[in-house]
Amino acid sequence: MSVEIKLDQRIASVEILKQYENLLEIKVDDRIYQVDLMHNDEGIFSILANGRSYNIELVPQPKPKLFTAYTLYHNYDIEVIDAESRYLRNRSGAVQLTSENTISSPMPGKVIKIPVKIGDEVKKGDTVITISAMKMESEYKSPIDGKVIKIFVSEGSTVDAHQKLIEIE
Amino acid sequence: MQKFNKILIANRGEIAIRIMRTCREMGISTVAVFSDADRTSMHVRYADEAYHIGPSTSSESYLNADKIIDVAKKTKADAIHPGYGFLSENAGFAQKCADNGIKFIGPSPQVINQMGNKIQARLTMIAAGVPVVPGTTESLKTEKDAVDTINKIGLPVMVKAAAGGGGKGMRLITSDKDIVSLVRSARSEAKSSFGNDSVYIEKYISSPHHIEFQILGDQHGNFIHLFERECSVQRRHQKMIEETPSPLMTPELRKKMGEYAVEAARTVNYEGAGTIEFLVDNDLNFYFLEMNTRLQVEHPITERITGIDLVKQQILIAEGHPLSITQDKLRQTGHAIECRIYAEDSDNNFMPNPGKIYNITQPLGLGVRSDGYVYEGYEIPIYYDSMISKLIVWAENRTEAIERMKRALYEYKITGVKTSIKFLERIMDTADFRSGNYDTNFIEKNKSTLLADTKCTPECEDMVIIAAYIEYLDRLNIAQTSKEMYTAQNRWKKYTYQKNFERL
Repeated sequence: MSVEIKLDQRIASVEILKQYENLLEIKVDDRIYQVDLMHNDEGIFSILANGRSYNIELVPQPKPKLFTAYTLYHNYDIEVIDAESRYLRNRSGAVQLTSENTISSPMPGKVIKIPVKIGDEVKKGDTVITISAMKMESEYKSPIDGKVIKIFVSEGSTVDAHQKLIEIE
Repeated sequence: MQKFNKILIANRGEIAIRIMRTCREMGISTVAVFSDADRTSMHVRYADEAYHIGPSTSSESYLNADKIIDVAKKTKADAIHPGYGFLSENAGFAQKCADNGIKFIGPSPQVINQMGNKIQARLTMIAAGVPVVPGTTESLKTEKDAVDTINKIGLPVMVKAAAGGGGKGMRLITSDKDIVSLVRSARSEAKSSFGNDSVYIEKYISSPHHIEFQILGDQHGNFIHLFERECSVQRRHQKMIEETPSPLMTPELRKKMGEYAVEAARTVNYEGAGTIEFLVDNDLNFYFLEMNTRLQVEHPITERITGIDLVKQQILIAEGHPLSITQDKLRQTGHAIECRIYAEDSDNNFMPNPGKIYNITQPLGLGVRSDGYVYEGYEIPIYYDSMISKLIVWAENRTEAIERMKRALYEYKITGVKTSIKFLERIMDTADFRSGNYDTNFIEKNKSTLLADTKCTPECEDMVIIAAYIEYLDRLNIAQTSKEMYTAQNRWKKYTYQKNFERL
């Protein structure tokens, strides 16, 4: 079983067939490419393929084997699925799903206001938390009619990107 | 006449660096101030001296007038340049500078008060015979007053912070059910941005052009204007692209608006650099919107077409020199465009996207100027504005300027945070922008093409996959990092090992 790369929703298998220094013959799914590849430790890649020059930058994410890839105009979330991650995934059974009813912050910021408390009934669309980042205040609304069951942060605290804020049931 | 030997810059980021550049050219030494979050900001590294002034929140650092005056006194600075934002339009701060024998680079506290308060400015302009946007002439201190007034004027209206600027504390109200919530959020944003929650109401002029005039006034009663800037490409009432000359402008209109701008400056006996903002409708009727008593973000395009360093003019005026330029000597040469690069996610309602800059390559080449402050490894703080740089191009004519801007945006690469670069490049390709036929509704009108969800080609995607795979393999073996470029490691020696590993 070879290594697979997950690019957004697509999962591709990839394999090196031949290599001589910077010249590689490499197979992605069923397509074979002869590429001239140079890169550095900061994730900057220069790839020449079929006469075209591709500039790609990979930025590592906090978790290993996760990257954000930048091409000229597009960004992709990349995950490398190797034997180790496959093993871990199988052992822990199904991948743990984060609840769709958990509100998390898409960016770092500071909590300005939490107008609800645990146990409050909220309607879909009610503002449950206000976050400020770079002088912009954003209001986050409840995705469902329900009850506030967990509040993970407090007013005045700073939050990281993708941090859980409030859970509603 | 005074000669400044040292100037304190009461600001941060790109504008602090912009000002220090001119100081350096004039042989003036520079003092930077910084908050907790800005110890590593480039303006601290660029300055000759730098002093810590407090916690990250701007109200406790960059808005702390006393602390900044203390530093100026301690360092024996002759003058303070406030940049834009923060204390730049704070009359109390200008007064404190004067009380402590430090020259504030800008107009007098009285003029800041008169023009900085948007309501007083409207009254002043009405008195001087300059046309203004219809609306209230007094400030509304309570929510109830605001709601009552809106009902009287009739929708649609703009609610604006009396102390406002930069799109903060400003809301467009089009439907009855939003009145209360939008008034409330405008007031709350006004309070947190300016420390003053009073608002005023203006009738909303749909699809206007936002055109402003740069003016300069010295201490000897001389006033000039340095032509217009077209600032109609806006999102969330914040400017994104500015250009000069305006594609809408005719020589007659320019002359007329320029005369009003100079008249406005003369009425208040303005000192320093300032901007008169107008709304212009498609029939070329124009209305005074507000006056900014400071240097504008977009000042470089004016510098580019006139060849005049506006910061240098500000400093010379503050030193007491009479203006050395007269109106009839001024020429607009060629065409200049500025694009603001924001750390934001264009695909997600322009949500700010702070974070760490991983790699940055800034554009160079003929006619390109880049005014920024971020560098590789720098973490953009969450506390301040999301603008990370300004890209300014100049060319012989508008078409060439657009092509040059496209080229410069193509060269501009920032990874680690999401930016507005791709979005800006698409604007350069939009027919309405290329023809110059656009107003403040431009982004809304062209949303579908500007925000189209495109993918790169399958081959390009495969190259990303190849890059990720090589990165993964090489990372298995690397402990130290360098910036040198090298080939993919030869792994034939490890072929058996690799095969066994993959068989797991």
